[in-house]
Amino acid sequence: MLRVKAGDLDRMGLLFERHHRSLYGFLFHMTYQREASEDMVQNVFYKMLKYRHTFTGQGEFVAWMFQIARNTLKDQAKKNKNKVQQLPAEEMEDRLPGGMSADEHLEKKQDKASLYKAMASLSEDHREILTLNRLQELKYGEIGQILGISEVAAKTRAFRAMQELKNIYSKMER
Amino acid sequence: MMCEKYEDKLIGLLNNELTPAEQAELEKHLTECQGCSEELAGLRDVWEMMAEMETPEPSAHMRVKFQAMLDTYKESVEDTKPGVWTSIRERLGKIWQLQTRWPLAYSLVIVLVGFGLGYWLFSSGKGGEQEQQLKALSSQVHELKQTMMLALLENPSASERIRGVSYTSEIKHADKEVIDALLATLNNDPNVNVRLSTLDALSHLANHPEVREGLIRSIEKQDSPIMQLAIADVMLKLQEKRSVKSFEDMLKQKDLNPGVRDKIKQTITQLI
Repeated sequence: MLRVKAGDLDRMGLLFERHHRSLYGFLFHMTYQREASEDMVQNVFYKMLKYRHTFTGQGEFVAWMFQIARNTLKDQAKKNKNKVQQLPAEEMEDRLPGGMSADEHLEKKQDKASLYKAMASLSEDHREILTLNRLQELKYGEIGQILGISEVAAKTRAFRAMQELKNIYSKMER
Repeated sequence: MMCEKYEDKLIGLLNNELTPAEQAELEKHLTECQGCSEELAGLRDVWEMMAEMETPEPSAHMRVKFQAMLDTYKESVEDTKPGVWTSIRERLGKIWQLQTRWPLAYSLVIVLVGFGLGYWLFSSGKGGEQEQQLKALSSQVHELKQTMMLALLENPSASERIRGVSYTSEIKHADKEVIDALLATLNNDPNVNVRLSTLDALSHLANHPEVREGLIRSIEKQDSPIMQLAIADVMLKLQEKRSVKSFEDMLKQKDLNPGVRDKIKQTITQLI
């Protein structure tokens, strides 16, 4: 990113290849809207180009990228205040891996659907931290940077989020 | 219920972020604490399940869109480079306009007032004053020339004295002092050439009555034939009849040059 900042804008293509999936994943799990997430990925990369001079290189690039993504999400949320979020469970059901017996498949499918529903019903803070932590596999130090909290606070929040998810999920399974 | 102080350790364990020492300590605690081990088991189930959570693939369209955006951006950056300069120039221009419009008007007014004032001053009082100054200056130069001429007439070198005499042609209003000096030179200068040029200079000042009288009186004092001839020519030119008597006296001189005698006789007849 420092090379991009120095004017080598083609390097942004490399960064796009490396990071656009995780960025898209994060945005998707925060919105459950494919097209909107794609647009936001585009938006985030545009902002990174436009505000490349604000990247100091002191923190991680990934942290900076997710900070911009969060701001983009907030802007988007303001625009879409009235739109109802669409749950992904049904959509995701068709995408489950094959190669299992029908029963096994069905059972797994149901488990997964429940987990998605549980995840979707989490508070935004908790969904956010678990997405970053578990799905994007970021370290707590990085998550702290992104959210503007300490590493310890990030751990605590992640633990509480896991607890909440577990409780919601276990209620669904019963 | 689990122990609150082990929350961070449990989440650390799930993330594989614990040091071996921390892990050993936690495992020891888990064997002793049922609440914590149950909590961990439940969390681990969900944690493992989450690993299988999928995110839909972004469409291939996105990469194309990104590349297009990047290209457009690069172009716009290249476009804005000169654009930045023009905008700065425009802004400077605006500031310039803002800052100079009134001062410019003021300075214009001041310049116009200056011109007006100058015109008024020179056309009235100051103009006359300057003319007076010019007159004074030219009269000073005039005086200087006179003084120089008079000084030159005293010079031992004949050529310098001739130069002094020649200055009289530049003196428009010869005063009595100059005329006296010239007449004295005409009568007394030992060099005939000096006397000749003095005669020439005096003939140009013949409108002064004292010059004419001086010239007539000078006739009898000239003993050089060249001077006698020259002065006869001058008298003829001036049509000075009062000189006839002086010429008649000259004819009485016994040692008069015969050529001069003829010339004088001729002059007398022409004058009469």
